[in-house]
Amino acid sequence: MNNQRPNLFVPALIGGAVAGALSSIPFFNCLCCIWIIGGSMLAAYLLVKDSSVVLSIGDGAIVGVLTGIVAAVVHSFIDIPLRPLMREFFQNMMKWAGEYMEEMPSTWEGWFEGGLSVFGFFLRLIASAIFFSILGALGGIIGISLFGRKTPPRTQGTSDVSQDTGDRQP
Amino acid sequence: MEIEKKAFFVYLFTLLGIVIWLGLIFLAPYLKSRSSELHVFIYALFSPLCHQLPSRSFFIFNYPLAVCARCLGIYFGFLAGAGLFPFIRKFSSLALPKTLTFVVVTFPVAVDFLGNFLRLWSTPNWLRFSTGLIWGTILPFYFIPGMIDLLLKLKRGKAALRIEVQSK
Repeated sequence: MNNQRPNLFVPALIGGAVAGALSSIPFFNCLCCIWIIGGSMLAAYLLVKDSSVVLSIGDGAIVGVLTGIVAAVVHSFIDIPLRPLMREFFQNMMKWAGEYMEEMPSTWEGWFEGGLSVFGFFLRLIASAIFFSILGALGGIIGISLFGRKTPPRTQGTSDVSQDTGDRQP
Repeated sequence: MEIEKKAFFVYLFTLLGIVIWLGLIFLAPYLKSRSSELHVFIYALFSPLCHQLPSRSFFIFNYPLAVCARCLGIYFGFLAGAGLFPFIRKFSSLALPKTLTFVVVTFPVAVDFLGNFLRLWSTPNWLRFSTGLIWGTILPFYFIPGMIDLLLKLKRGKAALRIEVQSK
């Protein structure tokens, strides 16, 4: 009987890489923070698929936090080459919008100024890791709720954690 | 009783967190309008979370908010859901919403995104905000029980470790 806890890191790496990439790539990033939640749901799905024990929503939160950290790292590194391209794109878009809009904020040119220092990079990385972890935890919980087994299989072991993962109403 | 106390703490922490989160979103344009350099930090803080396209954002004090209309809707929805939470769920309950409920509230935001992404239509910001608001309302009903379970899990882990150390 195999009732060992599943490895959290592989699903977190896959989910985090997907979420981090999609939240950075222009046009795909229009779903903003939802990608991080989606990536964590993917990680939770992979975790459930490889697990022989019933997982709790707390397990989902843990894999979600890990996914968020991986996504923050991936996002930060993809962002480095894309940042100058995006700045140029936004500036052109605002110039185009200015031709059609009657009133544009007077100082919009200043919105896109400023580069990214090493300190700025690490600050953004830490901020991303914190925010993405929170959103990742949310995605992991939703993922376990949607994909998690409600009851343990007969031939396999059960975890020592609560089984409050199902579609239960009060 | 102790679980209820911990759950109430998680709830308060969540509520406080989302209020601060929303406060920062509105603080960014205010600080920019007052020529305070702190606005750069706040806009940068939210930039990994949101594309911050001015055309997709609401303006206040003549400047865009720190997140787009859809993200703002999600966060306001989260606040609304957190406000409703004690009236719908017991703090000690780890019950989660039904899968069907999640699918129903996700449908508008998914359709809106797909339509825009495939260039079938371009929805105005108030509609983006509304679909985000609907989706965001359900999120605390996952987040709060999840955090309570995580806290209990960590406590159980600590207790098990203590017993193991004592038995050695």
